[in-house]
Formats: sequence, structure tokens, C-alpha cells
Amino acid sequence: MEGLGPFLEVLIGGLLAGVLYSLVALGFVLIYKASGVFNFAQGAMVLLAGLALVRSLDFLVAKGLPFEVAVVGALLFAGAIMAITAWLIERYVLGPLLNQSEMTLFMSTIGATFIIEGAAQMLFGSDVYPLQLYPTDAWIILDEVFPGGILISKLDVWGAVIAGVLVAGLAAFFQWTRTGRALRAVADDHAAAQSVGIPINWIWFVVWLIAGLVAVVAATVWGTKLGVQFSITFLALKALPVLIIGGFTSIPGAIVGGLVIGAGEKLAEIYLGPYIGGGIEYWFAYVLALAVLLVRPQGLFGERIIERI
Amino acid sequence: MTAVAMTLDRPAAVPKAEEREILLSVENVSLSFGGVKAIRDVSFDIRKGEIRAIIGPNGAGKTSMLNVINGFYHPQEGTITFKGQRRHRMAPYIAASQGIARTFQNVALFKGMSTLDNIMTGRTLKMRTGILGQAVYWGWSQKEEIRHREVVERIIDFLEIEHIRKTPVGKLPYGLQKRVELGRALAMEPELLLLDEPMAGMNLEEKQDMCRFILDVNDQLGTTIALIEHDMGVVMDLSDRVVVLDHGVKIADGTPDEVQRNQNVIDAYLGVTR
Amino acid sequence: MLYREAGQFKTSYAGDMAIFPIRQDRIGLAILLAFAFVVVPLLAYFEIGPFGHDYIFKAILIPFLILSLAAIGLNILTGYCGQISLGGGAFMAIGAYAAYNFSLRIPELPLLFSILLSGGMAAFVGILFGIPSLRIKGLYLAVATLAAQFFFDWLFLRVPWFTNYTPSGSVNAPELNFFGWVVNTPAERYMLALMFVTVFAVIAKNLTRGNIGRQWMAIRDMDIAAELMGIRPLYAKLSAFAISSFFIGVAGALWAFVHLGSWEPLTFNIERSFQLLFMVIIGGLGSILGCFLGAAFILILPIFLDQVPHAMGVPLSVETVSHLVYIITGALICFLLIVEPHGFARLWAIAKEKLRLWPFPY
Repeated sequence: MEGLGPFLEVLIGGLLAGVLYSLVALGFVLIYKASGVFNFAQGAMVLLAGLALVRSLDFLVAKGLPFEVAVVGALLFAGAIMAITAWLIERYVLGPLLNQSEMTLFMSTIGATFIIEGAAQMLFGSDVYPLQLYPTDAWIILDEVFPGGILISKLDVWGAVIAGVLVAGLAAFFQWTRTGRALRAVADDHAAAQSVGIPINWIWFVVWLIAGLVAVVAATVWGTKLGVQFSITFLALKALPVLIIGGFTSIPGAIVGGLVIGAGEKLAEIYLGPYIGGGIEYWFAYVLALAVLLVRPQGLFGERIIERI
Repeated sequence: MTAVAMTLDRPAAVPKAEEREILLSVENVSLSFGGVKAIRDVSFDIRKGEIRAIIGPNGAGKTSMLNVINGFYHPQEGTITFKGQRRHRMAPYIAASQGIARTFQNVALFKGMSTLDNIMTGRTLKMRTGILGQAVYWGWSQKEEIRHREVVERIIDFLEIEHIRKTPVGKLPYGLQKRVELGRALAMEPELLLLDEPMAGMNLEEKQDMCRFILDVNDQLGTTIALIEHDMGVVMDLSDRVVVLDHGVKIADGTPDEVQRNQNVIDAYLGVTR
Repeated sequence: MLYREAGQFKTSYAGDMAIFPIRQDRIGLAILLAFAFVVVPLLAYFEIGPFGHDYIFKAILIPFLILSLAAIGLNILTGYCGQISLGGGAFMAIGAYAAYNFSLRIPELPLLFSILLSGGMAAFVGILFGIPSLRIKGLYLAVATLAAQFFFDWLFLRVPWFTNYTPSGSVNAPELNFFGWVVNTPAERYMLALMFVTVFAVIAKNLTRGNIGRQWMAIRDMDIAAELMGIRPLYAKLSAFAISSFFIGVAGALWAFVHLGSWEPLTFNIERSFQLLFMVIIGGLGSILGCFLGAAFILILPIFLDQVPHAMGVPLSVETVSHLVYIITGALICFLLIVEPHGFARLWAIAKEKLRLWPFPY
């Protein structure tokens, strides 16, 4: 019984942290579903969104606006920046690369990553900017059951709630709106969708815009957690194993993948770390993803690949 | 321009179709993907030196059949006997090394490589130099490379594609790509050559050329050929025997004349409901 | 009129299959090699012109040569065999730490063998991480290579045995003694790197134009068809992983021993992996020449952005330069992918094509 309390604490903390990974992974899944592009720039977009948000917020607060109003203004500004980014990427990078191989598109988003990272820091600065949009203290629960109780970070809970709302909203959008249907059609077959009159460029813009807005949401949470800084871009790399486990095309997969990775790496760090040296959080997620791939090459939720010739 | 100059393996005098020995036989093969049954309990054989056509309406399971024969698909039931060896399933590498080559319905060339390099890949199984030898590219390994280049050049001559020797195949028109693909298969010096719609999308002239190549290969090299084709004129002219599939079931098997008169075949093609 | 191949008829297949079939290419290369091997050391010895300063060796030529070698390694895997890798830095690290430990723990082993063995060690690890490529493809595989990157970052940082328990984790290269030739001055280090790169570039060129190279490209272009042609994916892919990692591992050992001299953990981090990938994409996927062009570009861009505005009287801050490097590199990658996916090497080929017709437009 003694071990159970800390175990639960690590598990819950891990699961909640995992939800935060899912927030980044969601952006990937959206773009991949709709355009077949594996958007490596998602992490850079979170950085851009975060910098736009925090810098404009600081600016508006310094102008004497009440905090709530300033937050709304900053969110609008960050959203606008993401819209411009989405438009630029669609117009100048992906538009000309229509019908290229998946690999070429992937590499082009690596290029876009570097452009965004460079431009974002050039425009908004490259320091660490603290952001405080959510409570960052913790609840202690079940302290009558376990000695010391279980510590739960409020920020992580906020993140989880936001992720849940986001997923529900996106699912509804994909399922029930006209644009959502068009998105699914484009995802299945570009040419066929074009031939029935779906404006593919507009659809892609919408997809990137949504991914950009998801990045803004992710930036509010991660910015509060870590401060807005360059290392946020590494979230993109952390989201990769999440995607591998969840599959590139599944929104629920992104959530479950995040939970598995979050809980897995925290538990591994605590219970495995002491035996093989600390800091295994650094690579554990990737090795876990690799193990999953060896068993199921398409990920846990991915569609089965049938090869044809 | 004939294939006489080719020095590929050639069997001695060729006997009549009926008394030739069986090269490959497919027995009671069934293949399904999930719930979809692509092939149901099909059996037929291919005899040495013949041209065997597999025909049938779209979705009849013809390409799946070829995929089973060279081991790309694994059938759930049935056996495949090739050169006397009976297997439950074929593996692609074994099929290739035992002498089964093929071309594909949608040209499957290596797009980034030249015509020459594409055909040279067909010699892979015949090359012996290890990686270290190739790193040096001197003496034995260079000689080997040149020896195979000579064979490939003869195939290039035979198919009349000398002028596109060094062109990346991605830039070639469709008809020429099909020809290069045939060349790549021939470079393997196969005993059994599987051709999946070798004349799809060709104009009359190109079809005539392709027919000539197929007949020459069969005639002069003695290569056994199994082909899928939709042009009935071509099928009836070229093939020694025809097997007809419909919805994954074999509905007829025999000489072109027999098949043409078969009521099941007529029904399948005209869409009569039974 | 200079660059004409008219009249150069090949009368044997050997002639047609030579490493540089066109005479002008051979002459050009001979001049380049003579310059690199003879003229540059002489200029350095007599301290003439820019080659009289250590700067050009330390900051440009030595890193250029070694990174070119690493780029060749990555190009074999990504450009020729089509397996994208984000773990180039990890394999450089393996080469560096393996060479360090070989020379530390087996002092009687000649340095050349330590370096080659370190390449072998990298090749072994490369095969291990290449095994998933038999089941998984494309982007999924990229994640496997990332796993290698992060795992080895961690390993060399956290397991003190590899750094011989030095408290800071920073280690020093041994004396560079090649069978009695003690390599010391920047010019000597340059010669050493040049020799390695020349030999390995020839090997790479030979491999890629031979049977194994064709197998790699076949796997890259259409793996299923390749398998049905009798090319074994196992052999083709794992050999590409092994040889690629060998090259990158040797480059890592040279980077540590010849270029840096002493290095910290995380010298070979993910940034390095991306840098290598960019060299390959910008220089040209599937081109050995492209590796040199790409390495030169990636190396010179920051120096250019630092020095040219400075010379013009508008010095840029260090941060601005680094941001600009990001933007320009990223933009160039997007541009090349759209306009010329085979990178600088293809542009060079087109330029030669034009030169052949010069002064006529076509």
C-alpha cells in the first residue's frame, strides 16, 4: 500500500502530461488527415503562436489594458498571425508541391520549420518569456487514504480539459459541417475532390489555419508550463512517438498515444531510471514507439496497409 | 534486328504444346483479403515453352493470380508447383531466383534510374562480386560489370531502344516504358515470364511491335510466357492456351478456339446473368 | 567551346562505364586535385595569400571536408536508398566516442585502425537501427532514426564509461600519429582530412555506380518491384545502413580528432543531424558531387552573413545572423524542392549542358 500512493501520483501526472503531448500531436493529425502532409513545422508553429501571444499580451498589458481584455486581444493577434502563416505556407510551399511524394512534402515542411523558427525569433525576440494564463499550483487529493496525498497539477488538468473540448469540437466539425465533409473528401483523393468542385487550395488553407489555432491553444498551455522559448519547438519531436503509437490519421489515436507516452515515460523514469542512469525520459518515448512499430507497423490505430502493385 | 544474337539459355527442339512437360501448376488456390474473395479454388498449369493467356473481365482476379505465382500475395489455400517443387506459398525472392520474371500492369520501373541501369538491375541475381570488390571497381569486379553490360546491350538492341539507353525512364513515353520493363524482365533470363497487360494503353503500331517482341522471346529463347491481356485479337493470335477467370473462379481453360466457343465465357463477357 | 564531348567516342564498355567518361571532367578534376593536394600545402608553407592563415583551414577547409564525408554517408542512405534519416549526428557521435575509446583502451592500436574500427562500430549500430526499416517505411522510419539520435545523446552524456569518467564529460583526442607522421598544424590536419575524403569519395562513387548502388536505387524508386526482381530488401537496406553509418562514423571520428581536438557531450546533437540532412537536400539527393556542394553552402552561409554585412559597414548581431541562416536555409530547401529536387548538383549538370552548347542558346 505504501508504494501505491506515489505510483498513482506518477501515473496521474504522466497521463496528464501525456494529454499535453496530444495537444501538439493533434495539429499533426489534422494536417495529415486532410492533405497527406506530415507537418514537421507543427512545433515551430507552437513557438510562433506562443511568441506572438506572449509579446502582444505584454504589449497590451503595458498599454494599461485590463488583463482579461489584453488576453483576448493577444489571442486574436496570435490567431491572425497563424492565419497569415497558413496562407503563406499554402500559397508558396505546398501549393506548388501538389501531387509530390510524401517524402518531398515532409522535407518541405522541415524547410518551413526553419523559416518559421528564424522568422518568429527575428520578429518577436529569442528570450524566454513567462506566460501565466492558467493556475500553476496543485491540488492534493486523497490525503486521507495515502500519507501525503496525491499531488495533481492544476495546469495539467486544465490542459486535459482543453484537449477534451478541442477533440470534441474537431470531431463535430469534421463530421457535421460542409467544410468538414470537403476536408475528408480531399483527404481521400485530391484529384477526385477537385473534380467535384471542392476548392482544394481553400481547403488546405482551412486545414493549416485550424492546425495553427490548435498551435495557439497548445502554446497557451505549454507557454504557461515552460515559458515561451525556443525549446518549445522540440515538442514537435516529442509528438512524433505519440503519432507513431496513435497512428497518423486518428484523432482519438493522438489522445491515447499521448497518454501512453506520458504515463510510460514518467513511470520508466521513476521505476527504471535509477537502475540504468537518470534522464531516460529523453529517449524512452522513441524506443517505446519503435517497439510498437515492430509489432504493428501502422501504429495502434492506423489503417492496415495493403500493398498493391 | 532479331534476337538471334542473344546468347541466353535456349532449350533444344520444342515439342508440341500438349506433350510438353508442366513448368508450373497452380492447384486449388484461394486468396482473400479480409472478407473479399479474390480467387476461389482455381487450378491450372503452364507448360514449358507455351504462351499462356489469362483473361477475364475487370476484377476477375487475374493480377492477383500473377501476384500469387511470384509470391507477392500469399494464398490462404492451395499449392504452387514450379519446376517440380511443390510449395504452399511462393516467396518473391525465391520466385525471382528460380527464374520467374514479370512486368506490371501500371509500369513499375525505377523512375530515377536510366534505361540502362533499369535493365542492369535485372542482372542482380547473376552478379557475384561482394561490396568490397565493388568499392574497388577494378579487375574482377569491373570485368563482371562489363560482361553483364554486354548482355544488357544485346537486350537493348533486341528491343530497339538504343537511343534511350541513358535517359531516365521517368521521362520516357508510356510505350517505351513498357518496353524497358520487358527488357528488365528479360535481363533476368527467366524461364517463366509473367506479363501483366503488356499492351495496355498502346496504339496499334506499338502493339504490333510488342507482339513481335513477345513472339520472338518465346520462339527464339524458348521462354515460357503467361500474359494477361484485354485485347482479344492479340490474345487469340498469340497464345497457345487460354484460361478464363471471372469473379475469381475459373470458368474455362483450353485453346483459343475452344475458349471462344465456350458458353460460360460468352456469358461472362456479355454480362448474362446465370 | 571548351566543354565539348563531341568526337569522344567510346569503343569499349569499360570506357563508357569509366568513373568520369568525359575528358574535360577528368582534366578539371585532375586540376582540382592537384590544387588541393599540392598547391594549397605549398601556399600554406610559404604563407602566401589566404592560405597563409590558419583561419581558412580551421574554419572552412577542414570542416568542409569532414562534413562532406558525413554528407556522402547520409546521401548513400537517404539519396540513394531512399531511407530518410534524422540520426546522422548520433552516428558521428558513435564514431567519435568509439575512436576515443579504441585509442584510449588499446594504445598499441595504430590510429588509422582506431578510426576505421570506429566506422565499423557505427556500421554495426547502423545495422541494428536499420532492422526496423524492413518492416516500416518512410516517416515511420524517420522516427526510428530519431530514437537512435536521442538514445546516443543520452548514452554518451549519462554513462561515464564512454568519457573515461572525466568529471565534465569533455574528452580530448590523443596525439594524431599516423605511422610516424605526427599531424599537428592546421595545414597538416587539412591534408589528412583531404586524403580520407578523397579515398572515401572514390569508394562511394564506385559503390553507387555498381551493382549494389543499383539495388539501393531500385529499393528507393519502387521497393516492391525490386523485391520481385530478386533484390533482397534485407540485404539492400541493411548494406545501405551499414555503409552509410560507416562513412558517417569515420567522419565523426575525424571531426572529433582532427577538427575539434576536444569535445563535450551533445556536440553531435540533433542540430547536426538536420545540418547533414540539409546538406544532402540542398546539394542533391543521389549525387556525390552534391554532397560537397551542399556542405560548402551550409558551412559558408553563416560566415558569409557574418562577414559581408560587416565589411559593408552594417554588422549584424550574432542572433540576427543565426536567425537569417535559419530562414535562408529553410527557404532554399523549399525553393529547391519545388524548382529542382535534385539540388545544386542538378543545377551544375544543367550549367554544363549549357556550356556544351555555348555560345549558342540551344
